Order: sequence, then C-alpha cells, then structure tokens
Amino acid sequence: MTTKRTMTLNLTDAEMQVLDDLSQRKDLTKTAVIRQALRLYQTVEARIERGEKLLFENEATKEKAELMLL
Amino acid sequence: MTADVSTIFLLDVARGRGIEAELRDAVEEAQLVDWQTQWQPALMSVLQELARRGVPIANWPQSWHWNWREKTAQVKGLLAYRGFSVVCAGLTQGLMSINLNKLARIPAQRGKPLVYVDYLEVAPWNRADLGQAVRYRGVGTALLVAAAVLSRDEGFHGRIGLHSLPQADDFYRDRCGMTDLGPDADYQTLRYFEMTPDQVTVFLEGESGHEV
Repeated sequence: MTTKRTMTLNLTDAEMQVLDDLSQRKDLTKTAVIRQALRLYQTVEARIERGEKLLFENEATKEKAELMLL
Repeated sequence: MTADVSTIFLLDVARGRGIEAELRDAVEEAQLVDWQTQWQPALMSVLQELARRGVPIANWPQSWHWNWREKTAQVKGLLAYRGFSVVCAGLTQGLMSINLNKLARIPAQRGKPLVYVDYLEVAPWNRADLGQAVRYRGVGTALLVAAAVLSRDEGFHGRIGLHSLPQADDFYRDRCGMTDLGPDADYQTLRYFEMTPDQVTVFLEGESGHEV
C-alpha cells in the first residue's frame, strides 16, 4: 500500500457545500473527491501543455464548446 | 518509486499445480524489456504461422500491434494512470494499464467513478486462443482482481469498466460476470463491459474460493 500523508484543508462554506454535494453525487468520500479532482486537473494540464484543447460536446445537438483555461 | 508486490498463485498447466507469482502495482523497465525481448518474438512466430496458414488478419490476436513501451511513456507521471504486472518464473506474464478518470455508464451507477481498464494483455505463451499449449492460467483474472481491489481502495466500490477486444468478450461476460452494454460506436464498435459493486463482490468471492 502506498504511504499517504495527512494535510488540513481550509474551505469556505460554499466550497464545503460543493464538496459535500460532489461526495454524495459521486458516491465518494470527501478525500476521494479531492484525490479525483487532483488526478483530473493534472491530466487536463498535461494535455493542454501538449497543445490539445478541452472541449465539451452536447450529446443531443453535437454542439462543441471549448473550455478556456487561463 | 518502487512497486508494491503481492504474492498470487497461477496454474502451471504442464505440471497441473499452482505456482507462486508476483502481482506488481507498476509496469517497470524490466516488464518492458520482457515485452520487447520475450513477448514480441513469441508473438511474431505466431503471426508468421498464421500468415503461412492464410488466416485472415481479422482473426489474428487483436492486441498484436499494442506497444507497451509507448503506452507506458504516454502516461508516465500522471496520477490518473496506473499499471499492473504479473511476474512468474522470472518473466512478465501479463500487463495492465488503467485509467482512474472515467465514469460508469450502467444506469444505476451512471456518472460515478470507476477503474477503467485501458489495456490488459497476457504473454503470448499464456493465450489459449493462439492454438498452442498454455504455460500459465489465471493471469488475466489476477489482473482483473487487482483492478477490482484498486477500485475499492480508491473508494469506487469496486466498479470497473472496459472495452473488450472481440476475442475476450466471452471471458469478461461469462468468466468475470460483467454486464455487456453492447458495441460502442464511439470506440471502434468494441463492446463495453462494466462490473457493478454487487458483481464485484460475487467476482471476488468466486476468485478467493477458486483453487488453482
């Protein structure tokens, strides 16, 4: 098992509410939500650094929108 | 970072008994060297024999073009991608690459995270579909068990998803008890399979009581 380190995370009420909602909707612990977010953020960053774009497509209309990350 | 190693048992087919093996939570340079120097020549001789017999390319092992060195390099350092390998008798017997960024599609689990098996391949000498004597059985199942256990460890409740090559459809459907969600038009029309938390429990209980 990979060793894990503990940290304290300070969140606003609004941020904590989002974390609670995601935890419930995704059936994950709050720690698992944060770890998942970190993986996703790193993946997106790596692909953008490779010159790729992040696009969302509406399944029904096939309309595509690019998510701009600044 | 060194790999965590667990002891597992495979079936040594020639001797008809179990043999100790290592399940490693990484695909390291030693595995890539085995893939290049042991798997590739073995696979090449199978392909040459298939070509000599006039077997259509559509019936060749569908993973023959997979390049594990490239696949491993593409995801190096990314937290969302993990590798596993099975080593027995000093040789790599199976490889698996997984992605932790995917979501479940089964209606009851839709949108919840799962462990997605990007690639799973066993060494050519362990493949029953290549028409030769199999050396070790249980490599593919051991890797799928590892995916299920990782899914539980990550808090994904054991959910697993994968696109299957046609030659492996029966294995995932019948042997592993995964739900077949049919051909995926967005993924080379390969069939998409998922294992729910309940199916994982049955699968893992079956494997823990399975004697090699």
